[in-house]
Amino acid sequence: MNWKAILRHETILAILVVLALVVLAAQSDRFFTPENLLNQGRLMTEVGLVAIIMTFVIATGGIDLSVGSILGLVAILIGVFWQNLGLPLEAAIGLGLVVGTLAGLFNGFIITRFGVPPLIATLATLALYRGLAEGISEARSVRGYPDWFYVLGQGQVLGVPTQLWILGLVAILAAIVLGLTSWGRATYAIGSNETAARFSGIRVDRVKMAIYAASGFAASLAAVIFVSRVSTTRSDMGTGLELDAITAVVLGGTSIFGGRGTIIGTVLGLIMVQALKNGLSLAGVRGDGTIVLIGAVLILTILISNLFHRDGNR
Amino acid sequence: MTPGGRDAASPLIRLKGVSKAFAGIRVVKDVDFDVRPGEVHALMGENGAGKSTLIKIIAGVHPHDGGTIEIGGEPVSHLTPREARRRGVAVVYQELLLFPELTVAENVFLGHAPRTGWRGLDWPEMRRRTRALLDSLDSPDLDVDTKVGALSVANRQRVEIAKALSQDARVLIMDEPTAALAEADVVRLMAVVKRLRERGVGIIYVSHRLPEIFELADRVTVLRDGALIGTRPIGEVTAQSLVAMMVGREIDHLYPKSEIAPGETLLEVRNLSHGRKVRDISFALRRGEILGVAGLVGSGRTELALTLFGITPASSGEILVSGKPVRIGSPRDARAHGIAYVPEDRGLQGLVKPMTIAQNVSMASLERVRRGIMMRFAEETRRAAAAIKAIGIRARGPGQVVGQLSGGNQQKVVLAKWLETAPQILIMDEPTRGIDVGAKAEIHQLMTKLAGEGMGIIMISSELPEVLGMSDRVLVINNGQLVRTLERGEATAESVGAAMADARREEAA
Repeated sequence: MNWKAILRHETILAILVVLALVVLAAQSDRFFTPENLLNQGRLMTEVGLVAIIMTFVIATGGIDLSVGSILGLVAILIGVFWQNLGLPLEAAIGLGLVVGTLAGLFNGFIITRFGVPPLIATLATLALYRGLAEGISEARSVRGYPDWFYVLGQGQVLGVPTQLWILGLVAILAAIVLGLTSWGRATYAIGSNETAARFSGIRVDRVKMAIYAASGFAASLAAVIFVSRVSTTRSDMGTGLELDAITAVVLGGTSIFGGRGTIIGTVLGLIMVQALKNGLSLAGVRGDGTIVLIGAVLILTILISNLFHRDGNR
Repeated sequence: MTPGGRDAASPLIRLKGVSKAFAGIRVVKDVDFDVRPGEVHALMGENGAGKSTLIKIIAGVHPHDGGTIEIGGEPVSHLTPREARRRGVAVVYQELLLFPELTVAENVFLGHAPRTGWRGLDWPEMRRRTRALLDSLDSPDLDVDTKVGALSVANRQRVEIAKALSQDARVLIMDEPTAALAEADVVRLMAVVKRLRERGVGIIYVSHRLPEIFELADRVTVLRDGALIGTRPIGEVTAQSLVAMMVGREIDHLYPKSEIAPGETLLEVRNLSHGRKVRDISFALRRGEILGVAGLVGSGRTELALTLFGITPASSGEILVSGKPVRIGSPRDARAHGIAYVPEDRGLQGLVKPMTIAQNVSMASLERVRRGIMMRFAEETRRAAAAIKAIGIRARGPGQVVGQLSGGNQQKVVLAKWLETAPQILIMDEPTRGIDVGAKAEIHQLMTKLAGEGMGIIMISSELPEVLGMSDRVLVINNGQLVRTLERGEATAESVGAAMADARREEAA
């Protein structure tokens, strides 16, 4: 592994993150407090879960635009399964996760079986899944979940928001899989040269299907946490989530052409985006100003990183 | 034609002492070359001999570093592609540079279309002139309104030639024009070339194919390692002397083939078919044997390999490995049965160039460098280091990125990757394409050594000397079918070449 070249982007990003935290802390004394930081962690979990698996998707040279719609669909289905079909909430959640994973698998199936470019395939399912969510919900929202369910999105374990533990666990598992296993190696190989990977006997289609299914699962898990956090179910949940996730992944140094990227980078990218959003709003910057700044930081980080990547192998 | 070009004594183009270096490495050294009106001047040499660079210098693509170039008797100091075109030099490149979405007429006149009075395109005139050009090339069957993307390679080539002529080309450079053609089209192309010669066009004809050279060329120039070896009238050379000029030594010294008594049958193929390119092929490969597969590009050689390797699984027929029937539906199946494939296109199919040597070497045998699903990076590095040593890959170490290696060393990495799978049957498709002479000899030595250790090797190659020099037996594929099997003793440039070029004629004779 070309660790030196890969870690360099993450190092730059880590320095920028620290810099941003220091500057933001100086702008408002409400920013750098344990309560605020933990709360921000709570808020970034849903995007975070999706972004971590999106790192795999993008590292294979693909993209998954349908994650936000899968989130919305699964959120609605959990409500419908529980309230309208009268299933126990545990079963409704389980079924929701299964449907979301299948939705991801379906993306993988269209992409590998029919050779549809991932951008087109998931753009189509973005519309498809969102349409299904809206059709099923008929613009009603579901509320009044049992109390135990809110532990997931609003509760704490050992003083840390419950979902942050989940995010941490998923991040560590993903980092191990991508960095240290033969599955991770296959992911990078497919992203760098799919044909050569296929000619080497790597099961390219199977790996890709698994990754898109995992992406669907991550979006479903995010849906469960989202519903628990906001205590309600609506069909427009997760709209635009895909772009936040992709921003974090790309900011984290994953090449949009595939073959390069790490989970550490994605986590740093997530922290950067969340810190900017929160810190700037606390400092009194308007919402549109924040978006502009996030765009600027994205471009800047990539530029700096490319500067050091002149010896790149492309 | 201009007055200068009519004078048969004065060359259309003359190069004196032309040199060219890339990054300090001289790839063309002090070469003299000229083309006279109405002659076909063949340019020959091995891969990497400098032919392509020389024709790109003449076409103005690469500026020359030293020497002089005269076109039509006038010295040209600064030749650009535009300037070369203006002076009547046109090139038909191997990879045809046409726009598939435009029609034949649009392609022919792209950039110099006839105009109407008020600067609009004169479509009727454009179509009329394209028609006339194609008729003059003996292609009345080509419709000027067809999109080029819908045409066969041979027809596209005719469009390219028409395009060159539409610009009043006096010197036409043809870079391996028959490499991708079927035999009937080769015959037709040769007729077109002869017709152009009669019109006084000077033709630079780059080809590896000896029979074509002897049929078409008036003179032949041989390059080796960038240097001019000689220019001779065709009557003064033989196939033997040309090959000797190209490789610089006797052919038997070049190919380190040792005589081996082949052992038991490793692979048997019965009536194998896939699509139209692999039709009813049967043969056997024995232990220790190097089986050469000859055929034109597009004849189905590579498709045969892809079918054996499971990329395009067979639609019918049987494959037996060590006497047992097997089903090969994917490269994974092939690997499980001890079949390895070193592919034709190294950069696309063989290597992941941004990855390191170690990562590439382990790619087809990941189960050897992992425990459970966890990679054992130390083991991977150790194995790669061992392979580097065993095969003689010149690199800084297992951690070096493969894209930085030379072609020959890249090819050795692909070979190392497959040797890690401990194959019994090794298919090598164009094993020495685009690599220098030294590395080529090393690859040949490795092949001999592997065969000596009991591996069965199927070697597909476009280079006839390589096929003849390395093979115990030669299979000739033509139009998807196995047309001849020749033993080492009976395989000659003539017998193999004839079977490659025209099966039916050979069978009738």
